[in-house]
Amino acid sequence: MSSIHSAVSPLAPTQPVEIKGKSLWDHAWIRLKRDRMAIICFSIIVFYATVALLAKMGLIATPWSDVVGASYQAPSSGDMRLWLGTDIFGRSVFYKVIHGTRIAMSVGLVTAVIAVPVGVVFGAVAGYFGGWIDEVIVWFYTTLSSIPNIMLLLAIAYSLGKGITAIYISLIATSWIGMARIMRGEFIKHKNREYVIAADSLGASNFSKIFKHILPNVSHFIILNFSIQFISAIKAEVILSFLGLGVQGEPSWGVMIDDAKLELARGVWWQLAGATTAMFFVVLAFNILGDSLRDALDPKIK
Amino acid sequence: MTIGRILTGFSLTLALVFAGACTKASKDSSNTLYAYSIAKIKGLDPAFSDDLYSGAEVARVYDTLLQYHYLKRPYVLEPSLAEALPEISKDGKTYTFKLKKGVLFQDDAAFEKTQGKGRELVAEDFIYSFKRLANPKLNSPMWWILDGKIAGLNEWRATQAKAEKVDYDVPVSGLKAVDSHTLQVVLTQPSYQFIYNIAMPAASAVAREVVEKYGPEFLNHPVGTGAFKVAEYNPASKIIYVKNPTFRKEVYPSEGAAGDQEKGLLADAGKTLPLVDKIVMTVYTESQPQWLTFMKGELDYSSIPKDSFNQALTPQKELQPELKKQGVALHSSPQLDITHFSFNMTDPVVGKNKYLRQAISLAMDNDKQIELFYNGRAISAQGPIPPGLSGYDEKLVNPYKGHNIEKAKELMKKAGYPDGKGLAPLEYVTISDSTTRQMTEFYQKEMAEIGVQVKVQTYSWPEFQQSVKNKKGQVWSYAWGADYPDAENFLQLFYSKNASPGPNDSNYNNPEFDKLYEKALTLPDGPERTALYQKMVALVVEDTPWVFGVHRLLFGLTHRWMKNYKPHEFHGMSKYYAIDTALRK
Repeated sequence: MSSIHSAVSPLAPTQPVEIKGKSLWDHAWIRLKRDRMAIICFSIIVFYATVALLAKMGLIATPWSDVVGASYQAPSSGDMRLWLGTDIFGRSVFYKVIHGTRIAMSVGLVTAVIAVPVGVVFGAVAGYFGGWIDEVIVWFYTTLSSIPNIMLLLAIAYSLGKGITAIYISLIATSWIGMARIMRGEFIKHKNREYVIAADSLGASNFSKIFKHILPNVSHFIILNFSIQFISAIKAEVILSFLGLGVQGEPSWGVMIDDAKLELARGVWWQLAGATTAMFFVVLAFNILGDSLRDALDPKIK
Repeated sequence: MTIGRILTGFSLTLALVFAGACTKASKDSSNTLYAYSIAKIKGLDPAFSDDLYSGAEVARVYDTLLQYHYLKRPYVLEPSLAEALPEISKDGKTYTFKLKKGVLFQDDAAFEKTQGKGRELVAEDFIYSFKRLANPKLNSPMWWILDGKIAGLNEWRATQAKAEKVDYDVPVSGLKAVDSHTLQVVLTQPSYQFIYNIAMPAASAVAREVVEKYGPEFLNHPVGTGAFKVAEYNPASKIIYVKNPTFRKEVYPSEGAAGDQEKGLLADAGKTLPLVDKIVMTVYTESQPQWLTFMKGELDYSSIPKDSFNQALTPQKELQPELKKQGVALHSSPQLDITHFSFNMTDPVVGKNKYLRQAISLAMDNDKQIELFYNGRAISAQGPIPPGLSGYDEKLVNPYKGHNIEKAKELMKKAGYPDGKGLAPLEYVTISDSTTRQMTEFYQKEMAEIGVQVKVQTYSWPEFQQSVKNKKGQVWSYAWGADYPDAENFLQLFYSKNASPGPNDSNYNNPEFDKLYEKALTLPDGPERTALYQKMVALVVEDTPWVFGVHRLLFGLTHRWMKNYKPHEFHGMSKYYAIDTALRK
């Protein structure tokens, strides 16, 4: 008798072994973890988000509108509220910066959370179906984007009246376009790939092809775009508030910079310093993180 | 001069009255005055010169029958287009003006008969100009200056309102051209303000052919008899004027007030006006660029923005030594003005609830406001009349002022809104510059203390005025500068017949006030009239259609090369300013 291989016959039933391949996301995460800069930036963003959340819940820097000192008191150590001095009414600039963070982060978040899906849906539908649907959507967003962005923002803010809602709406209305463009391109590329054709031949519906099959394959673009939208929304809020079209009766970095425009003449630099420093770090962090994400998620860069 | 609607925000120093001048510091050797305006100009039609800024521009191009002496104080009227002060009949109702001969309108294509050369000004021109203010289809916001004053003019207005087309050829009994250069005006009753009214830019002479040729575009096509004519016109940013070559012979005054001689204000006595060849008027809606341009020497004079106050003045309110070394001069003078909030009295919420208005008035911290926004250069206004006019009562204490939160809260309860409960946010209309935004924030903070929330709507200056005229909004901040040195000019702001689009911007309507006002109109300056004025003030204080703000002090600076500058409450002074071109270099 021939000896029997001690090993289990390859045909014999075995314990199911899960062969775990690494997904795009796993790879990305591994790469991202190695990138120290990205981790630092991510932590900064988490920190800003936490501050914004705590301020929103009223747990820190409350109330910001209290008078804590004389008009235009210079920064001093000691009392936290005076770290960045006071504004014209004697309110704490430090608290205003924190509440400015709350406004900025919420504008960034709300805009990105709404504009990105809108852009994804429009872009996906246009790219996937093509034909007249594509033409209508492309016509729509090219028309919209041919109007200078800031003019459009101003027009919307003027017609809706001022305030945070108007900012949300005007930013959402203008910022989905970039996402839609990218998505449309990706969908045109992907819709004739084998895996989509395979899904098609298995009888998948359009809906499932778009959302179950193609979308996961282009989802890294969404993450990237999300971080870009976030920053541009923050910047747009600051610009609108600087122009007097932004939030009313609440501290915003833009309003603080507008104040500073007048105050610098009397040597009051702390509102400008507070607002721009706060803005600088969060915008920088998002930019660097966005780049790192791109590097991490792009399968061509290994 | 004209009117008074002023921005409150800029208040600070509001040099407004003399529109500014700026000079291209180093290289400009032309005899040019560099002036500025802190608000966009609506246009240059006398009939629409209902704000300070438009009035100032109108007065460069147009002339009136009478004008204020440039140097004398208290202000006195002197003839401008008239040859002399009018002859007034014994009953005080008939005014006869002799016009100067040979006064020409500026050249314009509208003068077809003279091939574009400006024709001579005649008495008929004033009849036309006055009727134009009364034109019901034009709806001039300046109608109030003649309303009810000239015999037959109100009747003419009423008839024309019914007609399809306004007919200027229908005569008015009180307006007669006795001959080509004699104008006779018959009043309905003696008026002590009429003589001031016709010195306001709104009462300037306009030429009928020009108005008819340009129609609505006349607003942007000024043709007057004044010292300057428009060379480049962009009312939102810059207007350039040049000396009117056909300007009549007018000379710099040779007498002035005490001290003017020493200040060198009489050095140019007898010189032909205007003294500059060109005016470049730039609009600066933000105070900082205006200030920096002045500091660069590219504006000949400037007000001092609140944030630059320490840069310009020492704590003793004297000029900083560096500026003094440069030859900059400081001019300060009290202004005949008042800042205020107006409640829209036609509004069902604020208009019908006296307690609510009083509560808001009480919530305002005036002292803090003066410190923060006026660098202490203002006094708290207790009523509508500024100091310096008879009728101003030093001892008046407004019971609804003084930042008394407790009392304000009591009144809120009485108003039916305890702690603001049940009160929708008030619609607050204002102007969209940074200083005004800070002020608005301040008011919001003050009102929040008694539970009143505010929704802010901001506009540019011309849009803001339009919104007020359309009675949109519930509260707005405004200011009024005297058109003439009589407290009546401040009290007419509450006369019901002057409601929007007239100057009564709160649309206050109190028959008792109207009765007193009408009575006061028939009285000359004196204790009896002053007593009536004070009664009217008491009514307005109690009803609170306004929250009285402050009366401001003017702090302005001029560069060493700007000559003949003297603060003046009224318009049309740019023809007296001179530039020492050698010093400017």
